[in-house]
Parts: sequence; C-alpha cells; structure tokens
Amino acid sequence: MKKIVYGALATLSGLVLLFSYRTSLGEAVPLSSTATGTGTTSSGTGGTSGTTGTSGTTTQGTSGSGASTGTTGGSTGTSGNSSGLKDGAYTGQAVDTAYGAVQVKVTVSGGKITAVDVPQYPNGSGRDAEINQQALPQLVSETISAQSAQIDMISGATYTSGGYLQSLQSALDQAAQ
Amino acid sequence: MSAGHARRAWVEHLMGTAASIHVVGASCDSGEAEAAVAACFAELREVERVFSPFRDDSDVSRIRRGELAIDAADPWVGEVARACEEAALATRGMFSAHWRGWFDPTGYVKGWAVERASAHHLAPLMEVPGIVAVGIGVGGDMRLRTAPGSEWTWHVGIADPDHPGEVLATVDVRDGAVATSGTAERGAHIVDPRMGVPARGVRSATVIAPDLTAADVWATAAVVAGRDLSWISAAPVTSGLLVTGEGAVRRWISGVEVAVATAA
Repeated sequence: MKKIVYGALATLSGLVLLFSYRTSLGEAVPLSSTATGTGTTSSGTGGTSGTTGTSGTTTQGTSGSGASTGTTGGSTGTSGNSSGLKDGAYTGQAVDTAYGAVQVKVTVSGGKITAVDVPQYPNGSGRDAEINQQALPQLVSETISAQSAQIDMISGATYTSGGYLQSLQSALDQAAQ
Repeated sequence: MSAGHARRAWVEHLMGTAASIHVVGASCDSGEAEAAVAACFAELREVERVFSPFRDDSDVSRIRRGELAIDAADPWVGEVARACEEAALATRGMFSAHWRGWFDPTGYVKGWAVERASAHHLAPLMEVPGIVAVGIGVGGDMRLRTAPGSEWTWHVGIADPDHPGEVLATVDVRDGAVATSGTAERGAHIVDPRMGVPARGVRSATVIAPDLTAADVWATAAVVAGRDLSWISAAPVTSGLLVTGEGAVRRWISGVEVAVATAA
C-alpha cells in the first residue's frame, strides 16, 4: 500500500517531508526525505526516519519497490501554531498507484491544509477530472478555527428515525426550513 | 454554508431513517424545486415498498419466504441483484447481499436508490435559473450537486463516532457523494461476509466518491477491511477517512494514504 507522510516540525524552524512506501505487510520503507533548516530529524508514522538537508534543496528521490523516482521539494514555513503544521506548499514524491504515478501537493495556510492537488497524474487517464475535484478530509483538530467551521450536511453512520432527532443533521435541516 | 444564498430544506422519514433535501439559491421556493423534491421522495418510497425487509409484503420479503422468484419480481430487484454481484466481485467479497444466508440487498439499496432518485429528479434542478446547488442526505449518506459556474461548495461535516454531536473532520464537495459506515449509531451491525463475524476493527469509515452507489458500497467494505487499506488504490473512490477501533484517524486521497506527522 502506498503511503505519503507529511511531517511538520512544531517547535523547530525546519521542515521535514517524509515519503514512504508501505508494503502489504505494513512495514514502512523510507524512500526519500528532505529537510530545510538545520539540525532536525523527525519520525513519521510507521517508523520511518528523516535525514537532514540544507535549506532550499531539491532532492532527487530514490526509488523503492513499487515506487517511481520523483523529485521532492519543500518550502519553508514561517508561522507555527497549535496544529503543528507550518504554512507552505509541500510537494510529495511521485508514487505508483494502480492507475499510474501520482504526485501530491499539499498547501498549508494558517495551520490548516487548505488544498491537496495532484499536479502529476497519468496523461489521458479518465480519472483526471475526478482527481481534480477531490478533497482530502480536513481534521477539525488541525484547524485553528474549529468552532467557526461552516457545515452544510453531516455524514455519519446511519441513524434511526428516532436518532435523527438528536442529530446534527436535524439541526441543519431546521435551520434551513 | 456560503452567505448570501437562500436555502430550503425538506425532511421525510423513510427507509427507517430521515431523508433531507436541501435546495440552495433564490429559486429554492419555486414550483420546480417543490415538484422535484416531492418526486424524489416518492421514488424513494416506491423503492422502499419493493425492497424493505421490514414489510411482509415487499418483494424482498416474499423472495426470502420463497413466494417470489427474483426474475418474477419488480425489475428493480433483478437490477439490484446483478449490481450486488458486481459489488461483491469488486470488493473481493467484503460486500455481500447474501451474508445472512439469503438475498438481502438492504446494504446496497439505500445508496443505489438515493443516487438514482437524485439523478432523476434533483439533477435537472441544476438547469433552473436561480438554483445553485441541491443535495440529498439519507441517514448520513449524501449525494450533492452544484450548478456549473456557481461558486457554491458543499461543506460536509464528518460525525465523530466517539463524541455524539461533534464533527471530527470536514470535506468540501461540489459534485459527488459522501457515505459513512460504522458502529457508532447501531453497534457492530456490519458483518464480514467472508467470516460471518461482526467487523470491529473500524469505528467509522467515510468515503467520498463520484456517485453514492460506489461511496456506500466502499464505506461498508472499508469497515470490513479494517486495518488493511490496500483496497483504496483500486476502488473508484476519491478520498476518505476512517477511525480505527483504537481511535486513530487515517486518511487517503487518490489511492494514497496521507498522514500528517508532527515531529518532536
């Protein structure tokens, strides 16, 4: 299974991007990492480890099993915040998927993932339009202003007709009736 | 919800849960909107009449008792039966309409019916001047549409399975479907058809897909799959999120799991 890990340093000024290929056994194999800033190491989920680099470098990624070689870049962030994510644009290494190589770019603004783009995907793929439309679920805990999140509809495990009365969806429906 | 847009919601209780239709835009009170919403609810009630396992006179109940053959039932039954077989193949048995030992497509029908009714009756509203968006949610699964050229985006909240009334995450959708399966509302009611035992590894799985039929099937499959996320690269889903039995959150997009790790 493919996995991309974005690591962001909350306390140090550096930034570490980790990209790992996770095998079907659940063992993570680090492919490449690049760090801007100095003296930083990090650990991502799955026990991958990062290496230090110099500011502003672009590192050519190495290929591992099932993953294509790609270019890894990172931009430095400035403002730290409670979410632990630094502002900036993070571009991941291209990863092979069932339908071709995919490269993901994550934009963090105000400590929140504001965009996930897929700047590289297979040419001529019928999935292009779908990929462009999709969005990564945004954890409320990652946002600075969780309370101000404006919600239109609620997705959750199916409630009974009675459970609906206590549901958030019921409140949203009443607000629009 | 975006400011400046009029909005109206209709709610009906059907399929054992509540169905909500929201129409957004200045024409939300128009006769076109009213008629489309009524027709959409009517189609869902008709589906319920044919497929409800809780009605003795439904086609599905009569098939279970051996009083009716699938071929002799409403044509919808054969269509759904074939689609369930395809879903079982696509999910490698993680979804099945036969896990009880008899044909019970209840886990498939809601997503299929809402997708279908939305396409028949709500999609045409996107052509009506003054309507910018329309969405239908039935028991936590939804199909959302936005008029081309409109700036509207649906902000969907994903319920926190461990904290009732709270939202765990949000996802923005313009045109697509969001489905969530899990044990939060009704206990461990999803059975792994491959083993015949309740699936317990995942508290809640949310799948975003182009259509609700796929989103619903794969949200169920995700609960059954548990810790194994290998299915995401092959499934026709765009992104999603699941909460494990231990409370950890995992997310994916484009068939790739994405983790944000804060380094010490």
